[in-house]
Amino acid sequence: MDGIGKLFSGMRAAASGLAAERIRIDVIARNIANAETTRTPEGGPYVRQVVSFEPLLERAADGRAQAAGVRVASVEPDRSTPMERVFDPQHPDADAHGFVLLPNVNTTQEMADLITAMRAYEANLSVQESFVRMAERALRLVQ
Amino acid sequence: MSGISPMTPMSPMSLGGPGATAGADLLARLLSAASLRAEVIANNIANQNTPGFRRQTVRFEELLRGALAGPTSAAGEAHASAARRLAALEPRIEEDRLTPPRADGNNVTLELEMNALRQNQLLYEAYAAVLATRFEVLRASVESGR
Repeated sequence: MDGIGKLFSGMRAAASGLAAERIRIDVIARNIANAETTRTPEGGPYVRQVVSFEPLLERAADGRAQAAGVRVASVEPDRSTPMERVFDPQHPDADAHGFVLLPNVNTTQEMADLITAMRAYEANLSVQESFVRMAERALRLVQ
Repeated sequence: MSGISPMTPMSPMSLGGPGATAGADLLARLLSAASLRAEVIANNIANQNTPGFRRQTVRFEELLRGALAGPTSAAGEAHASAARRLAALEPRIEEDRLTPPRADGNNVTLELEMNALRQNQLLYEAYAAVLATRFEVLRASVESGR
């Protein structure tokens, strides 16, 4: 019966959602941890990282591409948000005029993104639980 | 083993003739459509943060309802051709172009998808329960005939 196969590919779609949201949570955690980092190996302050998602495509039986979950398309530095420039002459990374460039991480924004990502993660988890219940119900038919 | 020679594989659906199984076949397809819908909802939820993604829906019950209430069957169409028409019905995956997208071009609303998922799961369980009852009736009639 192809019904069970659909349950499994649905479970895989939810698993891909879990994996993608976990990567996003990791990146947000990295951003928050580095909100005050003024020195990086590349030079200059830490640059906020942004995750973007794209549909995970799977070729269906009839040859058409069918979305079968999600994946992380890229983790890229945020070049559009400007760095914060504060006057702090005591800071070891202050320039000649006493200004320090701080990362372009807005902690409040990151916390809001974190809540969204966690909510999405939990939603994917309950989708998986729902598939398990459906598969159990289908199994009871043959008992 | 008794003298019943060639063992032909029989699916449970083919037991008891068309009268007893016509409903069971329909129920199995309703179950199949519900699991396809669960897959599509899972995909919508997985893509809730994918820019430009449009949510998808599965239509089957309403197509079925339309086919059952069609004018041809009311006009006394032959039973066999009506059954064929029903058998040709396939669940349809459609992109939702009506729900307005957010700023990132995505039109998935998590709460609506979770609601659709729960609703679909209840439907699935209802179909499975009716199918189980049908199997129970078949089994009882087979056993009483012994």
